[in-house]
Amino acid sequence: MTSDNSTAQVVVELSAVRKEYRESAALDGVSLSIRAGEAVAVTGPSGSGKSTLLNVVAGLDRPTSGSVVVNGDDLGRMSETDLALFRRRRIGMIFQFFNLLDDLPALDNVALAAQLTGTSAGQARARALELLDELGVAGRRNTYPAQLSGGERQRVAVARALVNRPALLLADEPTGALDSRSGEQVVDLLLDLNQIGQTLLLVTHDQALANRCASRLVELVDGRVARDSSLERTP
Amino acid sequence: MTAVWRVARGAVRRRRLQTVVIGVVVGVSTATIVLALGLLAAASAPFDRAHAQQGGAHLVAAFDRTAVSAEQLTAAAGRAGVEAVAGPFDQVALDVSANRGAMVAPTLNAVGRADPGGPVDRVNVWRGRWVAGPGEVVLDVPPGSDLGVRPGERLDVQGGHRLTVVGLAHSVSDTADAWVTPDQLAVLRPTDVQVLYRLTRAATPAEVDEGLAAVTAGLPPGALLGSRSYLMSRQQVAAESGVYVPLLVVFGVLGVAVAVLIVANVVSGAVVAGVRHIGVLKSIGFTPNQVMAVYLVMVTAPAAVGCVLGAVLGNVAARPVLAEAFEVFGATDIGVGPLVNVVALLGMPAVVALAALLPALRARRLSAAEAISAGSAPRAGRALAVQRLLGGALLPRAVSLGLGLPFARPARSALTLAAVALGVMAVTLAIGLTNSVTAYEEAVRPVHDDRVELVVGKVGGGEGPELGGPTHGVPPVLGDAEDEAVLRALPGAVRVAATSRQLVRLVGGQDSAMVLFYRGDAEELGPRILSGRRPDGPGQLAVPSRFLNQHGLRLGDTLTVELGGQRARVEVVGVALANSAAQVFADWDLLELLAPGTRAGSYHVQLEPGADRRAYAAAAAAADPGLAPAPPRGGSSMGVVVVGAAVLLTLVLGAVAALGVFNTVALNARERRRDLGVLKSIGMTPRQVVVMMVTSMGALGLVGGLLGLPLGVAAHHVVAPAMMRAAQADVLDVVVDVYRVPVLVLPALAGVAIAVLGAFLPALAAARTTIAEVLHNE
Repeated sequence: MTSDNSTAQVVVELSAVRKEYRESAALDGVSLSIRAGEAVAVTGPSGSGKSTLLNVVAGLDRPTSGSVVVNGDDLGRMSETDLALFRRRRIGMIFQFFNLLDDLPALDNVALAAQLTGTSAGQARARALELLDELGVAGRRNTYPAQLSGGERQRVAVARALVNRPALLLADEPTGALDSRSGEQVVDLLLDLNQIGQTLLLVTHDQALANRCASRLVELVDGRVARDSSLERTP
Repeated sequence: MTAVWRVARGAVRRRRLQTVVIGVVVGVSTATIVLALGLLAAASAPFDRAHAQQGGAHLVAAFDRTAVSAEQLTAAAGRAGVEAVAGPFDQVALDVSANRGAMVAPTLNAVGRADPGGPVDRVNVWRGRWVAGPGEVVLDVPPGSDLGVRPGERLDVQGGHRLTVVGLAHSVSDTADAWVTPDQLAVLRPTDVQVLYRLTRAATPAEVDEGLAAVTAGLPPGALLGSRSYLMSRQQVAAESGVYVPLLVVFGVLGVAVAVLIVANVVSGAVVAGVRHIGVLKSIGFTPNQVMAVYLVMVTAPAAVGCVLGAVLGNVAARPVLAEAFEVFGATDIGVGPLVNVVALLGMPAVVALAALLPALRARRLSAAEAISAGSAPRAGRALAVQRLLGGALLPRAVSLGLGLPFARPARSALTLAAVALGVMAVTLAIGLTNSVTAYEEAVRPVHDDRVELVVGKVGGGEGPELGGPTHGVPPVLGDAEDEAVLRALPGAVRVAATSRQLVRLVGGQDSAMVLFYRGDAEELGPRILSGRRPDGPGQLAVPSRFLNQHGLRLGDTLTVELGGQRARVEVVGVALANSAAQVFADWDLLELLAPGTRAGSYHVQLEPGADRRAYAAAAAAADPGLAPAPPRGGSSMGVVVVGAAVLLTLVLGAVAALGVFNTVALNARERRRDLGVLKSIGMTPRQVVVMMVTSMGALGLVGGLLGLPLGVAAHHVVAPAMMRAAQADVLDVVVDVYRVPVLVLPALAGVAIAVLGAFLPALAAARTTIAEVLHNE
């Protein structure tokens, strides 16, 4: 979606977020707002705090100071259980190394996330199959991750991330472990999702990927926002 | 080797949890093995151990002091075949019948000995001190026994002498009932002398007989009054000690099996968990053998420390258990034998090394690339069919995922399952044995809600009329027949049996028996007759089977009994159920023959259903204040020790099994760290993680319970009768058939309890694991 998002609802609001690991600060006073429908790419050199930023937004990690509000929920006030329920309902995550469960076939990997929300096994599988079909891997639904190609694994991971219709899709180097062709397919997929309104927060060190997927670029250097600008997507 | 040592030392330090788990598991397992093997070794020959420890006499001989001199006896004892000798000591039969309140036996075999030590029969003085001068006596009482005698009490003996008890001691050779100084014994007019021999060869009755022939050869005819072989004593005490042997054998074997399983599981898990580390080592130039050495050192170093600490712990724990089980022999210093410690200290590290070697060899064969990618590359799924099946089950997803986890590591799960099953087997066996002991106690000494036992108070300010039985201070105002008539006439009474307990001598030997004489409704209120019939005339006895065994008698045999100088020849007409081998039963007619006019010491009354026992006892006391309800009776000390030992061993085995589960969950959580991170990232709550991990072991626990239950029942069906037979007691159905459905529920759930207890803490730790790093860095 390339339309103006200035009036859209704020999905992510980071205020003066600082995250320290022992002596050093991975994030140092980061403030950032992401509105619904935006596709934001966070870039920066290695160790700049990109993944830490993603972790605090996903509730996988807690900031040392500052506040993180996602979809109206102040994550700092949540217990571990509340954070789990928050991730379950509001967040979809895609990882560089897919992080699929090796013991479950593709269909069950996707359905599992739905089942955790209380959806029955039958309904969860139906919804998972629908998504796998949309992503073009329905034919591999009974295949285990070890037998899938990298691109297929990431498509299954995307399906899992979307199965609960999250308010925010987080992607951490989603093409980092893929060959160029598979990477292209995943990029197209993310673009399509954003086109239909899915808010996207993408972490990557790949400038070309950022330029293709994102409508806004946030560059982190030494845990601080060095640049926050709109982008014209490259075809 | 320096590089290997450095890397191994670094790994030990870095993997603190694994190091601690290996150390603790090996330590507890070693302690269990030391305890189990120590008990086994001690139980295999408890009498022999105690006998050897005390330098027990193989042969105790009594000589006529008028027919042979001390010099002759000493010279004879110097012959070949005699290893050591003690004595001659003067001895005399002390009449202590005037002290019935304190002593059960009316006469004591007293020996004059200046010193409890020496080369033969080192008497264990376990309370007070040894005799030091005239007027002092030490009594032979097994440690822990209570015959109602305390140091400081006085005994009146024949000739107007009075002796003060200064100590309690025990001779496993059973050489005397009492000891005084040689000077004191001279005053008491000794009748004969006692000599104690240790023989060079005394394993069989024939060898002991050879020894006796050697030490009496050349002595005047008639000098030898009698002798006793230690083999006879051993046979008699075997009835007590033998009870523990089957119990300890089973628990010992279980302990060793569980320990080996857990150690193998822990060690192999540690090696499997370190595969990636192995890949790194290979990539920087470690040879396969060096890598293997690193892993062996990494695992065996904490194992060695745990092994030593465990051996110390096992020795400390075994000491009170052994003392409790075998104090009856008077040996208060029984410890774990050196061989057991050697076996544990060498065997456990060997088991650890063997368990580590197999997976280390497997890791050794891995290519560096394959090993280094372990954990990040997708694994081929395991137990896929099961996972799929469970995915569609109508169960919470955390539960269904947990149920599938054991199938991912089938070998590890099998080892854990086996350990839990053995733990449940131990619990089942312990519960069965506890019920058996209770059932036996109830069968031997039944407690009836509709019965009252009224005892007669002291007559004429002296002792109660029933020897060794309960009594009280109020003498009866009515005669025996009047009391019985009153009791029969009181409202609520249905049946009445009068009893009298008397110690009779069995003529032809040196033994005595406590006879319980019955009058009245003995058929209903007397002891249970297992075979033969109940005595109903003057020449009849009913005895427990232990009595028959210990005296070499059979149903229908006859013997002569003597009470107060009166003798009677009696036939064994029935086998009665009784715990004590020395407790026999007879009809009142026999008492009339031996001691006419003896009054009953107690009355057993059966009341109508629903009758108030207190009201009946109050009415009886109102009619004759000399009748009072008997005090409640406690359980036997043997039963308490059997149950105590079974419970202790079960707790140890259960704890070790739970530790095995702990280790399995810790390993699973470590291996599945990424999966746990994924699950948490898609919304699995900490509670669901705990549920999943605990369920994975709970399922194993349930299966382990179902496997261990029949094993425990089967073991009980072997152990309980074996214990009864070892005690020379009758094997009763009620002792063997103790498992009912409600009883079985507890051990069936014990597996789940062991699994849940073991799994909870590592599951909690897994739920708290920080997931961000693992998800992004893999």
